[in-house]
Formats: sequence, C-alpha cells, structure tokens
Amino acid sequence: MEAIWLYQFRLIVIGDSTVGKSCLIRRFTEGRFAQVSDPTVGVDFFSRLVEIEPGKRIKLQIWDTAGQERFRSITRAYYRNSVGGLLLFDITNRRSFQNVHEWLEETKVHVQPYQIVFVLVGHKCDLDTQRQVTRHEAEKLAAAYGMKYIETSARDAINVEKAFTDLTRDIYELVKRGEISIQEGWEGVKSGFVPNVVHSSEEVVKSDRRCLC
Amino acid sequence: MSPLGIRLEEVSLEVLRQRESKWLDMLNNWDKWMAKKHKKIRLRCQKGIPPSLRGRAWQYLSGGKVKLEQNAGRFDELDLSPGDPKWVDVIERDLHRQFPFHEMFVSRGGHGQQDLFRVLKAYTLYRPEEGYCQAQAPVAAVLLMHMPAEQAFWCLVQICEKYLPGYYSEKLEAIQLDGEILFSLLQRFAPVAYKHLSKQKLDPILYMTEWFMCAFSRTLPWSSVLRVWDMFFCEGSAWVPRVALCSWGGAFQPGT
Repeated sequence: MEAIWLYQFRLIVIGDSTVGKSCLIRRFTEGRFAQVSDPTVGVDFFSRLVEIEPGKRIKLQIWDTAGQERFRSITRAYYRNSVGGLLLFDITNRRSFQNVHEWLEETKVHVQPYQIVFVLVGHKCDLDTQRQVTRHEAEKLAAAYGMKYIETSARDAINVEKAFTDLTRDIYELVKRGEISIQEGWEGVKSGFVPNVVHSSEEVVKSDRRCLC
Repeated sequence: MSPLGIRLEEVSLEVLRQRESKWLDMLNNWDKWMAKKHKKIRLRCQKGIPPSLRGRAWQYLSGGKVKLEQNAGRFDELDLSPGDPKWVDVIERDLHRQFPFHEMFVSRGGHGQQDLFRVLKAYTLYRPEEGYCQAQAPVAAVLLMHMPAEQAFWCLVQICEKYLPGYYSEKLEAIQLDGEILFSLLQRFAPVAYKHLSKQKLDPILYMTEWFMCAFSRTLPWSSVLRVWDMFFCEGSAWVPRVALCSWGGAFQPGT
C-alpha cells in the first residue's frame, strides 16, 4: 500500500508578537498574503504536504503560537511534541532580534528530553530600507546556535517555500540517519505507513459507531 | 429552537418597535425590574436585545453603569495619565488588527482605534499588576461598537473582574482550568465529540483559548456573537462553556 505521505513532521513557529508568524504560515499554506492578521490568541494549527523528492511527500503540521509573553504558559506545552521550529524575528525590529536568545532558552527548558531543529528566520525582508538587523549579525547568531539562517517575506513571497522545505529536508535527513526516530508518545515525527493505520482501525472496532466523521 | 434557546430570525419592524418600548421601560425602571422580574429580563435577553438599545442594556446588565457612577471621573484621570511604555508599545501594535474591516476600526489612527487605545491603556493603569493581554482588544472593540470609551472601559472592567476573572492575568491559569472543566463537561454532555477529540488528542486549550478569551467575538457569525453576548451579560460566564458545548454537540449530532 502506498502512503500519501512518508512522514508527518510537527513544526512550531515562535517569535515575538507582530514579527509575522501567522502571515508567514498563511503564505505557505494558503498561498496568499493577509494585509492584516488578528493577533493569535493561544495556538493555531495549519497543515500542508511538501514534496522533498519526486514521489516522496512529507506532511507538515504547523503550529502557530501567540507571541505575547503572557501566552507562553499555554504555548510552551507545544514545544515538546515538535520536531522542528521556525524562530522568527522582524528585520525592522531590533528588539525582536535581541529576544531570539530568550526564545531559544525558553524552548530548551521545555522540550526536554527531545530536541527541536530550529531555523532562524529574518522576516519582512521586503522592508529592507527599514532594516535594523544586518544579515551578517543574524547569520553569526544563527551559527552560534547551530541554526541555519534565512530571510523571508510573506508579502512578496520571498523564500517562504524555501524556509519550510529546507527545514523539512534537514529533518528528513536526520530521520533517515536515525538521529531522530519515531517514538511512542511523541508527536514530533510520525510514519505515514504503520502506527496510525493500525491504531485507528483498532479503535474503530471499540469506538462509538455513531461518530460520523 | 437551538439548544441555547436563541432563535436567529428576522424580526418584523413592528415587533422590533414593541421590544424597544419594553426595553426602554425596563431600563428606565431598572432596579425595580432587577429586584422583582429578573426572569422577564432574562426572557427578553434571550429574544435578543434590540440593536438600538443593546449598548445601554449591556451597561446595565454588566453593572458597568453602576461602576461608572461609583467611580465618576476615574476614567478621565486614567485617560490623562501616560501609560507604561511597555504596555503602550504592545497595545499600539494591536490597534489596527481588531476588526479591521469594521468601518469604525478601518482607518489607522481613526476614532475607533484611538478609543480602543484609550480603553486598553486605561485598563493597564487601573490594574497595573495585570497590564494588557492581547485577547482583551477584540472584547474592548466589540464594546466600543456599542458605547463610548468611558462606558466601554467600565464594562471591560466588569468582564475582566466579574465575568471572566483571571482570564487575562499573568499566568493564564483560569483559562487553562476552564479548558479542563470544558473537557469534562464535553464527556458528560457531548460524548461523541468528546471521544473524537480525545482520539485525535485535541486538547481543549488548543481550540477554546480564543473562543473563551475573546468571548466568541472572533469565532461566531456576527449576529450570533451579539446574541451570545446578550445572554453572557445577562446570565454570566456560564454562557461561555455552554456555547462551546452546543457547538461541539451540534457538530457531532447524527444527521447534521
């Protein structure tokens, strides 16, 4: 039996309020740019298939999070079950760049014993004239934490696909090499073949037949 | 009739005029009605408060009106004081993102956005230990669509302190607790939905955070939002999980 997708990866998108997390995800999953976007309250959820090699598809489950510090008591529960993450800052907002360190510390504490493969994303790169963070210093910071760095724009659709697919490929390589493996009770990586199918058919027998979904 | 007892239907102009005059009478003799005929008020809220009197009715029902009278001049004081730059910065970033297609809030720096800033900033000065939570903005915006800034401020105070206490404060513990409560209510009252959500490992906190913290203002169709808020102000916060239960229950009903 051929699976629609080989693996499912769960990704989380974090960063300060108003750096453009929701807009980036919407551009990637819906292909459009929203001029205004409601501040995210709590967490939101998106998904998309990505073809990393001909015929090899990965399903991405993408978790959008509220940027305001107050929501961290809620959003941090989602770090643990994520295999990858996009850590965003806004290149026109120096403060959001300075907070990158704090975001990494925050996730490190709450993701144990797992690890998240992060990519650092300098967002809103269409606003180059208002830039407050140079590409060089962002690259340096990313390298210091062993992350890749990429600059994106949801408005002009620059590097949006690349940011997500590069991260997906990197995680796929780690999975192939056995450095990341599927684990019971962890939602970060799931196989498109075995566990889900067996699981759900078992449960169908037991479960209430009136469920119409 | 839906399980919530709210019937969304067009009301004829004649009926609307009758309802308006009944509401006017109630509002003009509010204490008497509250003391003796609370059931009748409830019934009339259930039928929907006439749009022309909704703002006034919400102030009466929530106690925002009394609060304003007890604290005359307080809002002006808060309004004139400079806000903590930390909060001012966050609030300003959210002003143009609340109901951006509503004519009141459509223009940057327009009256709607200015009033929204005044109300939210005043709250951070009124409760400095709580500050500003992003979920308060849509709630304040809905209030401002129905009443002036000072009145909206006191209604917001009532919502934050009486209706949804702790929802917007530092650790967000109240909302997480209510998520757990909702889940056990689902088990009892909407078992099919409960089973499905459990199987898919959908924590209540994932979907109910926005529903509850914004009192459904960003979730339901607009006409339903107003009717739910009528009942919310009339009967209190129990209406919030009730709407959630009915939404899930309805979604999983056989044949729907």
